[in-house]
Amino acid sequence: MPRSQSTSERSTSSQQTNPSRWQGAGWPAFVSSLKDVAVIEDAPMRGTFATDAGGTSYGMPHGVVIARSAAQISALLKAAQAHRVPVTVRGGGLTTEGESVAFGGVLLDMTGMSKCLFIDPQKLEVRVEAGIFWASLAEHLRRQGMDYLSAPLNLTSSVGGTLGVGGIDVNSARFGCSADQALALQVVTPTGEIVECSDEANPELFRRVILGYGQFGVITEATLRIRRYTPIRMRYYYYASLRTAIEDLQMLDREQAADYTGILTMMDAAINLLVAFDSGEREAAFDAKWHSRVRGMGEAAFSARAFLSYLVRPWRWGEALFLRDRKRQLFPEFRRPEHTRDGKMEDRSVVFSRAVWKFWGGRQMVIPDLATSSAKFAEAVERGNAVCKRFFPRYTLYCVGIRLREEHRPHYEMSCIPPDAAGWAYGCEFEPMIGDGTWSRDHLQSFKNAIYDIGVEMGASYYRFGGMMKGYVRRVFGDPLVDRHLAMKRAADPAMILNRDVIF
Amino acid sequence: MEFSSCHGCSLCLLSCPVWRQTRDVRLTPHGRAKALQNGASAADLQASIASCTLCGACEPACPEEIPLIDMILELRRQQPIQVARGDVPSEKEISVGNVLLAGEVLRQDPERLKRIASLLDIAVAADDGSDISRAIECGAALSSERLSSFMGSFRNAKRLVVADGLLLRKLREWLPEARVVSLGEALSTLEAVRARLRATDLYVIEPRAFHADHARLVRHYDALIKARNLKTNLDLQRLAVPTGASSAAKRVDPLDQARWILDGRAFERVVVEDAADCAVFARVTDRQVLHLGDL
Ligand SMILES: Cc1cc2nc3c(=O)[nH]c(=O)nc-3n(C[C@H](O)[C@H](O)[C@H](O)COP(=O)(O)OP(=O)(O)OC[C@H]3O[C@@H](n4cnc5c(N)ncnc54)[C@H](O)[C@@H]3O)c2cc1C
Ligand code: SF4
Ligand code: SF4
Repeated sequence: MPRSQSTSERSTSSQQTNPSRWQGAGWPAFVSSLKDVAVIEDAPMRGTFATDAGGTSYGMPHGVVIARSAAQISALLKAAQAHRVPVTVRGGGLTTEGESVAFGGVLLDMTGMSKCLFIDPQKLEVRVEAGIFWASLAEHLRRQGMDYLSAPLNLTSSVGGTLGVGGIDVNSARFGCSADQALALQVVTPTGEIVECSDEANPELFRRVILGYGQFGVITEATLRIRRYTPIRMRYYYYASLRTAIEDLQMLDREQAADYTGILTMMDAAINLLVAFDSGEREAAFDAKWHSRVRGMGEAAFSARAFLSYLVRPWRWGEALFLRDRKRQLFPEFRRPEHTRDGKMEDRSVVFSRAVWKFWGGRQMVIPDLATSSAKFAEAVERGNAVCKRFFPRYTLYCVGIRLREEHRPHYEMSCIPPDAAGWAYGCEFEPMIGDGTWSRDHLQSFKNAIYDIGVEMGASYYRFGGMMKGYVRRVFGDPLVDRHLAMKRAADPAMILNRDVIF
Repeated sequence: MEFSSCHGCSLCLLSCPVWRQTRDVRLTPHGRAKALQNGASAADLQASIASCTLCGACEPACPEEIPLIDMILELRRQQPIQVARGDVPSEKEISVGNVLLAGEVLRQDPERLKRIASLLDIAVAADDGSDISRAIECGAALSSERLSSFMGSFRNAKRLVVADGLLLRKLREWLPEARVVSLGEALSTLEAVRARLRATDLYVIEPRAFHADHARLVRHYDALIKARNLKTNLDLQRLAVPTGASSAAKRVDPLDQARWILDGRAFERVVVEDAADCAVFARVTDRQVLHLGDL
């Protein structure tokens, strides 16, 4: 059970966890034992991987290995076990808490293995090397009129990295998280065995590797479920209340009224529920049955309302101007003609992802989040929103539902899916707009802690609980569960070399 | 150089032909920028610098808007790559009105060049600056006399149509007042040419000029695609997949790129903007391969 703490127990410094650097004992012997594995030791290449997308956690590997095959990774891990050299696996490196940063030892760059191996349009399956970026996979699939089910909205996260952490898209309320679309994996275990696993073959390994933060093996290949590609028609509803927007989102998800749903806000001043459809029939059914039940306003009505509200509050005109400018910059991005045909958005992942990088990306990113059951979600978001207000003048909230697969419940243990969620889990990311503003690392860390403390108090989980936030793992999941996983980890990885700084 | 702005998002990798063929981040803008941030010199980056085809696909992809082509050209000036020198034209002639700078490959095909000139109703410049383009591409020193004699030859020209996408980028920089358009854009704007494009064509956009002016040209080609219902070599980000055939860098295999462009696409003809692509596609498909000017 989560253990709540008093404020005095939760000092910022006790939560700020940077792993100690592995000192390099036995490194030369390790490298020379690796006959067929090239280890790149020059400083520029090592420095390329010094941080992750978060840009607040820094570490230098002793050497980098570009992944080329399962056999090569097997040789690497066998030697790493023998010489007790840590190996940190990296896909796109889009973690924000240093989970894909190596604090010494080997950095294994999985993007070196990024081929699309085969597409089976009849069985609706694709087999890929796990370092492939979702965007590259989409390029292959679209040539066959296919698409993946769901993937993070950033183009450069890898399949392997995503299966290990979750993967949330605006259609996750329908298809579940990206990790749930994996049908089978090839995994190199921490001791170097190359094993194929799925719900049927080696199911225990499959359970541990999916949503396993790279603790129980390196995913080298993955078979994923795919679907036929369709362009989508988008709609936006605007709200002034977070709670109302969340209630509508959850109603639409429960009733599977739309194919894509999510909330994206500018602070809590402009709350946007986006709804989208794969087909005209789905949209028509929505219009007939659900449109009238959605309490959000259209763009014009909301703008008029906001105008009047700001008119009588001159002390908030700065915010009003910010909202106006943001809208002017952001909206054309979502309506770019080259990505639109017959009023439908093609390449939604490109459109969303480019907007994400352009408007939310930057040299430093902190994106703490809360993942809760449906019932707790509105409260969690409201409390998180209050924290955002205390720490930053400008921020965004991004909320989505994640459909759970009952038969995958064992996969969800000690993951971003909270144990009390049934049917759907909900996630909210709290993203301050840092831009080029300078915030001290302590300020950013205190902000993350304040959000994560809500999770402890509410018995929630987090999408990003590893790396610098791993101090929360025991607090939210409790000692018995964490100790059980630690024992499994020790059994699977005797020298504790694989992604050793991420969770335990 | 603005390499310090790179925050390692990897978006520049997605359309990079060198990345596609090597999966080695060191040979990408991301790898170069990070290496420079970590104290590498141009000499340390020799292999990376030599690998780039200058297709320009990385530049519009970069959310930090780092001038990635200028960055690689600057690195090449510090660490030149070796290639055969282009000929320096001996005759000097002053061009007025509309002028076509045909470039090396087109110049070698006088029939096609004549056809294109007549379609565009344009004079062909005797000095098309291909030696200058090669020098820029390889990082070789440019003599100021040669440059001023080249520029002087069309000082009074009204409109320059340039086949070489790299030279076009530089001419825009050197002659901000002049109307400089790519051969692909000029031809694909002609109604007579557009009308001959078919829905079963696979249209291959010349990447260097396209990416150099991406925000504007993506709309031009989008309109063309919609009007003629074409398939193209644009990827999902609306960046042009290059063959690299016109490049002095030899790391990228143009045949492999061409196969990737054709992969999974149904077409009856391949129509290319870059004359150098004709030979490449002819080797990987038995369908008809045409230059846009041959239509
Ligand atoms: C701008 C931005 C937008 C984002 N948007 C979204 C979003 O919309 N939805 C969402 O779900 N997430 C989002 N994220 C989070 C990010 O997408 C996820 O963390 C991501 O899926 C991780 O994939 P990756 O390839 O970058 O993994 P990495 O960051 O490289 O690695 C993640 C973890 O998995 C391990 N790992 C990596 N590859 C393997 C492998 N092959 N085998 C075993 N372990 C491995 C690493 O050691 C690390 O612990 C976003 C992040 C950013 C910075
Ligand atoms: S110019 Fe082309 S080849 Fe060179 S780095 Fe950019 S995308 Fe790659
Ligand atoms: S796209 Fe730009 S910021 Fe991103 S990795 Fe490439 S060069 Fe760096």
